[in-house]
Amino acid sequence: MIDIRDVVVEYGRGLRAVRAVNGVSLQVARGESLALVGPSGCGKSSLLYAISGLLPPAEGSITLNGEPVLGPQREVALILQNAGLLPWKTVWQNANLSLKLGGEYPETTAENVLDEMGLLPVRDRYPVELSEGMKRRVGIARALSTAPHAMLMDEPLASLDALTKERIQDLFLRLWNRHRFSLILVTHDIEEAAFLGQRIAVLSECPATVKTVVENPEVGGLDYRLRSGFHRTVAQLRSELEK
Amino acid sequence: MRMRMVDRMSDRDTLWHIATYAVSIAALLLLWEIASVIIFHVKGRAFLPNPVQAIAEMVRLGPLLFRNFWISAWRLVLAILIAFAAGYPLGLLSGHERRLDRLISPIIYIVYPIPQVAFILILFLIFGIGNPVKVAIVALALFFQILVSARGAAKQIQEEHVMSVLSAGATRWQVYWHVVLPATLPSILTSLRVSVGLGMAFLYIAETTGAFDPRQQGLGRFIETNQYNSQQAFAGILAMALLGLILYILIDVIERIVCRWRYTSRRPS
Repeated sequence: MIDIRDVVVEYGRGLRAVRAVNGVSLQVARGESLALVGPSGCGKSSLLYAISGLLPPAEGSITLNGEPVLGPQREVALILQNAGLLPWKTVWQNANLSLKLGGEYPETTAENVLDEMGLLPVRDRYPVELSEGMKRRVGIARALSTAPHAMLMDEPLASLDALTKERIQDLFLRLWNRHRFSLILVTHDIEEAAFLGQRIAVLSECPATVKTVVENPEVGGLDYRLRSGFHRTVAQLRSELEK
Repeated sequence: MRMRMVDRMSDRDTLWHIATYAVSIAALLLLWEIASVIIFHVKGRAFLPNPVQAIAEMVRLGPLLFRNFWISAWRLVLAILIAFAAGYPLGLLSGHERRLDRLISPIIYIVYPIPQVAFILILFLIFGIGNPVKVAIVALALFFQILVSARGAAKQIQEEHVMSVLSAGATRWQVYWHVVLPATLPSILTSLRVSVGLGMAFLYIAETTGAFDPRQQGLGRFIETNQYNSQQAFAGILAMALLGLILYILIDVIERIVCRWRYTSRRPS
């Protein structure tokens, strides 16, 4: 359970402080998915970094399973916009990085994850040799390698073509159904939010506050894009964002 | 299968590399020959020996030239290593740690623009007239060059790469090992290439300045004492060029090993 209470995130100090997030409260239960949508630069990513422990909140509290988040945690995996791959490491080394940093090296874990992602044939290649879709899959493999309780994703599919984006959204959904980690997804793609988020928090202009939370309980099936519930949610999100 | 193809491509790359080097050197020798002929016809004297004469003189001087080559080579390599060992970590720290940078950058801005030759007298007073001062002169000049390059390279590191390892729970040391060090390697190797040329110039100054031990001349002193015998002087200049070439090739080889990701085929987007 991730519990975010009255969180304020600021950059800089004193009179020069710029507020990016202003008193956001949200809860995400184990195995639940939450999407955060809002205008560009509204503070969505700042909120995500605060949840990941990279950015300490100026006010409020964030707890994971009752324990305060005081820094990056092994149970929480963060996937950055461009997958955050290190160009000087091979697919195998990138996928193993989180395990290695934690002092563990159970090769079978990383091998299983790479296999699950269909990446074993390219394990010795460098990111520059991969397609954008493959790079995102390596990023997911790295996040999954530590079997996290929560997966945080910061616009993980931005700049992908429509078809690749849909394929990776399907992959996210399958992995989420199989591993049942808590998922927090930051996106400005309304359809992506509607396809992956059981709840969708619509944030205001900067500094971000929660304008409304849209319930989207039918999420979970690969054919959800074809259902009327999906289109209803997309329409509702669009009207909330336009308000 | 892919490995075999990669090996074959890599062999072909190496052969291509050697061939282009050979063509390039041949072109240089041809230009030298033409310049030598033109100067002979214009001035009526062979101020500039042709490449065949210079190479023949190199062979004739054999052991003597090799001894001087060896002395200069180890002085230069040692100076580069000292400058690298001191300048690279300090540059990385300064570029990556903002607080430390605030302390170090004013010192760099004040000292770096001063021509390093201005410190030669002080270095002679500190180190005497033997080998240490010659190495120190070159090392001091290269230290700032490497420090400034490393600092600049560390400042250019993409925030995303640092965030990526920090979010996975990396310690400060792990950030340096997995991100800062590899991210700055290409720039620092370029800086080392510049250092070879700069180091040669300072080595020449160091070897031709002040008193010297006749058994420990080095190529700089060899060229200077033979400046009125152009064939011998050019044999020394060729030996210096050879030293530079060997160091450049060595840096290229190191780069291919430690920056392998830069030599893989980029996928078209």
